[in-house]
Amino acid sequence: MKIFITGIGGISAAGRNITEHLESFQLMRRNAGTVSLFDTFLPYPVFEVKSPLINKQKNEMRTLSLAMSALKEALHDAGLQKDFSGIKTGVCLGTSVASQLNDIDFYRTYRNTGAADMAAVDRFLKGNLAEAVARSIKASGPSITVVNACSSGADAIGVALSWLRNGVCDIAIAGGADELNRVPLCGFGALGILSKFLCSPFDRDRSGLNLGEGAGILILETEEFSRLRGKKSVLRLAGYGAAADAYHLTAPRPDGSGLESALRKSLADANITPQDVCFVNAHGTATHDNDKVEGIMLEKIFGQQIKFLSTKGYTGHTLGAAGGLEAAFTATALREGWIPASAGFVQQDENIPVRPITEQTQINGSFAVSTSLAFGGNNASIVISKDQGNQPEP
Amino acid sequence: MEDQKEMELPEIRKKLKELLVENLSLEGIKPEEIKDDEILFGEGLGLDSLDAVEIVVLLQRNFGIEVKDMKEGQKIFYSIDTLANYVYENM
Amino acid sequence: MPLLLFPKIKATNLNPEPFLRAYYMNIAGIGIISTRGRGIDSLDIALRQGWIAPSQTKSHSNDQNVFYPAYRVKKETINDITILKKIRRADKFSKMAVMAARDAVIDSGIQINHKESEVGIILATAFGPHVTTFRFLDDIIDYGDGSVSPTTFSHSVHNAAASYISSLLNIRGPTVTITQFASPIHQSLILAKAWLTEKRCKYVLIGCVDVCGNVMEYICNQKLRIANDGKIRPFNFSASPSSVPGEGSVFFMTTLENCQNKYCEIIPAYITNCDTIEKSDINIIEADGMAGDETSYQNTAPVDVFAGGYSPIFGSMKIISAFHCTVSALMLKKQIRYACPVQDNPYDLNLITKTESAEIKQICCIRKNCANKTDIIKLIR
Repeated sequence: MKIFITGIGGISAAGRNITEHLESFQLMRRNAGTVSLFDTFLPYPVFEVKSPLINKQKNEMRTLSLAMSALKEALHDAGLQKDFSGIKTGVCLGTSVASQLNDIDFYRTYRNTGAADMAAVDRFLKGNLAEAVARSIKASGPSITVVNACSSGADAIGVALSWLRNGVCDIAIAGGADELNRVPLCGFGALGILSKFLCSPFDRDRSGLNLGEGAGILILETEEFSRLRGKKSVLRLAGYGAAADAYHLTAPRPDGSGLESALRKSLADANITPQDVCFVNAHGTATHDNDKVEGIMLEKIFGQQIKFLSTKGYTGHTLGAAGGLEAAFTATALREGWIPASAGFVQQDENIPVRPITEQTQINGSFAVSTSLAFGGNNASIVISKDQGNQPEP
Repeated sequence: MEDQKEMELPEIRKKLKELLVENLSLEGIKPEEIKDDEILFGEGLGLDSLDAVEIVVLLQRNFGIEVKDMKEGQKIFYSIDTLANYVYENM
Repeated sequence: MPLLLFPKIKATNLNPEPFLRAYYMNIAGIGIISTRGRGIDSLDIALRQGWIAPSQTKSHSNDQNVFYPAYRVKKETINDITILKKIRRADKFSKMAVMAARDAVIDSGIQINHKESEVGIILATAFGPHVTTFRFLDDIIDYGDGSVSPTTFSHSVHNAAASYISSLLNIRGPTVTITQFASPIHQSLILAKAWLTEKRCKYVLIGCVDVCGNVMEYICNQKLRIANDGKIRPFNFSASPSSVPGEGSVFFMTTLENCQNKYCEIIPAYITNCDTIEKSDINIIEADGMAGDETSYQNTAPVDVFAGGYSPIFGSMKIISAFHCTVSALMLKKQIRYACPVQDNPYDLNLITKTESAEIKQICCIRKNCANKTDIIKLIR
């Protein structure tokens, strides 16, 4: 069964929509700075979304605002209105921050006095990402918020694929969203994996990741549903594979076998071989361990000539949004016929047998892969394809 | 001076053992059971990379010491002795 | 480009099935951790014993006389020395999940081929490891942004529990942690069935975990009505029902394969109205005071069907469906109807009032969730 990608939306520090992202990629624009969303002395550069529309929402969680922004763009791209009443619609979104009740002002007041205002709690209870989005579009079908750390967005897309193939729904909104928040900033800093410099994925001198925020959403439909409403698209969600490392809470399995398993499963799911893949949008966080494991595995599966990149040099690591954003970028790249340079890479690491592309590159293939490796040992791989036969909708 | 150092090191070792047992949730081990030359990682106490960064925070909070570079951490965190010496020299 | 509408697609085209036989899975093994102990045998004992008063925790407030009732899992229940060393850093949230998952695998008797990544994990939670999140906020407040515990942070992420399960049991298939207020168990069952049908894995460990804590108990006291006498009354069908927060974990080892010692088949539905529910031998009413107005439960218990409700045993939880499914599975396997622990019955339902042997073929677990929908899970022998 073919699953069509009929709409794409994305927001991050690199752009408020996909078009702005493409501009940032072409100009190699890296919109990082110090934290401005909250007070902290931590010096790490971050990739914040600068948008008055997002900043002014006080009565809902920032993550939800980011998700709604990407959703609006994706729906417009798909030619859909915001009312899905009567349609079997699934909503599957990944996040990390929005799933936590972590409002520090609420907690500080409670700690000091034994009581606190419930506003933060109400925002949290109304802010379960998938539930809130499903409510706003009147979707009556399955809805799940995936909290798989850094692979949440990718796994959410994988869940939607399973739903669509099994007839649980006919159309699905899938992806991820996450806001910049003090908890992961302090936490990743304590783990020693944040860099004080702009991140350099796969580079010999990489020193850790930069946090970011954003949302990336795909509209996915069965071929039949898409045909019934007269919407054509050349893009397909062709496959998904996932595997757990079963190794450690914070470190990836050194031999990369979890990632290898996820990658091979996704290729098999899409019924293709590694040779069919024209590029990989890698997880590429710029931590020492991730990039080494991932680089070695990319070479093992795809060979040394594989074109790959990390877009985290433009967006930062957007945690739960990353898989959704990177799927959006992968699909867009296939449609547009080019991939951006992997920002931040200068020098190859002798322990990594491959190097990412350093210039904007034309691509002409039908299949691309997006990988995500998560805290806790989840590995996810998505295969996206472009149907070379169909003409896109004018 | 040497005598003074020898007096303080035992206290530092004792404190470190207590901190490790409590903060790293070392099940079924009492601080006094940990030998001074016990290897902390791998085959010894069996600590891992998450414990290593936790120890960095323990040093910061309890002794005011920063470990600037985790690569030097491998030598510092080798055993209770090496850790205690590092604390003593940097207090 | 004009926005496309849905001109040809009407609701009637969508096949609004109440139950899809095709959604069935087999429950091969169960693990349960609750306030009444660990394991299926302890559940059997608890159901025979009936209702027990919850513990009372002193509130954090300045008022010395404020206590919050809660059904907490006792320390000794999760003090498993055989695995404690491997999960030494785990918090209560992760420990409960690990033990319930492990028990489910052992209970199933299935020998896992780890090389083949045969097992997937779906873990559902409503509030995640919030106790640990608040401990991390303690660190930030007390020590500053730059001096926080990385271990505490690592355990404050929702998927820590699933990571521990995967590591301890060497499970390498797909693993998903989901967070949901409305229908966590139903969504998990639907997804598990999809995975099994696609052959993403041969077995799915479907489970859930939620934990109590001072802050959450305070929030429950602010947002919900708390039962002063500690009794949840599932059959009062009140517009503002009483609750008592609970905690625990349940895991099912599920598969499409026929297993000799299986408990039952389990079938979730996500689109239904009560008129289309097939007649069962028992309807379990999952009212527990957590999901608001319970008046609409009134039409879920026909007089010719036995009615059960076991929230008073476990406490109020968004994940209570899993506990009721466990009770149902046990009733089907043992062919026993368990007496309801609290039998206040103002609507004169056909309550199960005593524990006795019975012929039971199917049980319906009915949950009105906070999104105003009805979730139904059917269990069949």
